Amino acid sequence: MPMLILFITGTAPRSQRARSNLGKMLDRLNLNDVKPFEVDLLEQPDQGIEHGIFATPSLLKFDSSGEVSILYGDLSVEERLQKFLSDLD
Amino acid sequence: MQNDEMKLQKRKTGIVSLDNVSEGGLPSGQATLVLGQAAAGKTVLSLQILARAIERGEGGVFVTFEESPAQVKRDVASFSWGEKLLTSERWQLIDARPRFGAEAAGEFDIEGLLSIVGAAIAKTHANWVVFDGIDQLLQYQPDPKVAIDQVRRINDYCESKGWTLLLIGKAMDESLAPAHLEGIEFLLSATLVLSARVVGQQLNRSLRIAKFRGSRHVADELPVVMDDDGIQLPYHEYLPTAEVVASNERISTGVSRLDKLLGGGIYRGSSLLVSGRPGTAKSTLAGSFAEAAARRGERTLYVSFDEIESPYVRNLTSVGINLRDPIDNGLVQFVDLSAFALRVTEHFLTLRRLIDTFDPHCLIIDPVSALLKASGAEGATMATEHLIDLVRRRGITTLLTSLSGVGDPEGEATQGQVSTLADSWIVLDYNVRGGERNRSLSIVKSRGSAHSNQERELLLSDAGIDLADVYEHGSEVLMGTARAAKVREDAVAQRHRKLEREQRRLDLQRQLEQAERERDLFKAKLDLENAEMAETDQLEDSFREDIRQRRDPEQENPDEPSNLDAVNDKAQWQ
Repeated sequence: MPMLILFITGTAPRSQRARSNLGKMLDRLNLNDVKPFEVDLLEQPDQGIEHGIFATPSLLKFDSSGEVSILYGDLSVEERLQKFLSDLD
Repeated sequence: MQNDEMKLQKRKTGIVSLDNVSEGGLPSGQATLVLGQAAAGKTVLSLQILARAIERGEGGVFVTFEESPAQVKRDVASFSWGEKLLTSERWQLIDARPRFGAEAAGEFDIEGLLSIVGAAIAKTHANWVVFDGIDQLLQYQPDPKVAIDQVRRINDYCESKGWTLLLIGKAMDESLAPAHLEGIEFLLSATLVLSARVVGQQLNRSLRIAKFRGSRHVADELPVVMDDDGIQLPYHEYLPTAEVVASNERISTGVSRLDKLLGGGIYRGSSLLVSGRPGTAKSTLAGSFAEAAARRGERTLYVSFDEIESPYVRNLTSVGINLRDPIDNGLVQFVDLSAFALRVTEHFLTLRRLIDTFDPHCLIIDPVSALLKASGAEGATMATEHLIDLVRRRGITTLLTSLSGVGDPEGEATQGQVSTLADSWIVLDYNVRGGERNRSLSIVKSRGSAHSNQERELLLSDAGIDLADVYEHGSEVLMGTARAAKVREDAVAQRHRKLEREQRRLDLQRQLEQAERERDLFKAKLDLENAEMAETDQLEDSFREDIRQRRDPEQENPDEPSNLDAVNDKAQWQ
């Protein structure tokens, strides 16, 4: 079962943009059943160490084979995001 | 008060030499950029600073963006301070390497990183933070301006939290910023640049404080030695101390006639250079100096380059110099080093550590010119200058020998500026004449001493070194057999002259004595004659009176007693 985790830091503009960009893309790709988890590193810094995430926002993807991929940034580059999510359907 | 608050606060790195050149450490509560090529020692430097901080009871967080935590731990384990650091709980190592195959789709923040570090610091009460290779993360930032802003953000955050941050990045050629982060050197108040260059097939490391806003610092490129203790700046371990008091005490070179020529020996705490071609007895003179020091009960650090202890000591024994006993009883520490084995700066560090541990009164380096064979981009001048400065400050009387070539008495010594730096300079040489080679000694300079300008012949025997006055013959000086022959010839001639004079004196003495004897004889004759003449005169007088009386008609025959009375009566009445 694929899984997405979006790492954010509080209400930082880039984090908010990423949340919105990810939602829009999931909509566009008809992946409405995929519910990304959100981890706020300001509240759970240990999660950052556990997953090796130090930049926010970052999107972490566990695919069905358990492989982990990461996409840094506010997800404003649509084609990158689309490609990143392409194997989720 | 306000001034104190405004003033730049520094935090000691615990690396004594770095604290010296930065005049107290790195800016406290701010970021320092540490740049360098691969293998320049950036990571080691930061780990060493952490280790020293932990020894002082401080703490730290090390965030690695490039090397694996296992690799960092292996780095740590190879140093003398590693064990303590690895077992300490006052620091945390965070693996922040970007994942393999990571991509970016837009700009990102580093607030998460700061939050994670903040949490770690809360646990370890750290005040040191190291970001090793943050460019590995920031290179994913599409816009370099954003990346630079984030370095500023990190700096501000550290300042607000009071963390002292080392931001480590790879130097790109001549640039003072890591790739992708051009311009951050202007943001941060301090920048250290480490470099590693291959010169003469050997790696030469150096460190430079490229920037230190609001603080005095040594701005030169400083040679770095990396050994078991980590990174060292060998020439800056000690700050120049207070004025060195110049001693008026003279100490013996072990050759009493040489001491006389030097005005009583060399000053305690001064340096003496002995230069000469191979076989001119430089080592013998050095050995004699050490032996004399041992006789005074003083410690001598005896450093031999390229010649090992046992043959060296044996060779000295053959000329009557005993180093074996002082070595055995600890007054002489003999150290043989190989000039080629280390770089010149490493040799300096070795020598300095030996001086630190043995605390000698006297130091011998035989020959110091071997240092010139050791490679090093910084050259031998720096090593010899610092060495002479060090021994002068410590008051260690130093004898350096130096090998010179034919017709070039200064020889290699001048390359290291030793002859300029040393207080006294003796040149040993040999003269070839009449089928033999004779050693000579002359004093080229001796600061603060009236010294002989004469060249002397240096004599080696199984009783040690002695000096002979050379024989001046016209404009030439004679040595060896020629001197001996001339001396003998002159002595014979002199003996001849002396004998002749004695003979003449004796002759004259004899003549004088003879004359005196004759005089006495004549005088005796004269006395005799005088006596005879006086007697004759008296006899003649009385005879004449007798006749006169006999002829006086009024007188009776004076032969009759009555007449004699009458004469007396008459004399009474007259």
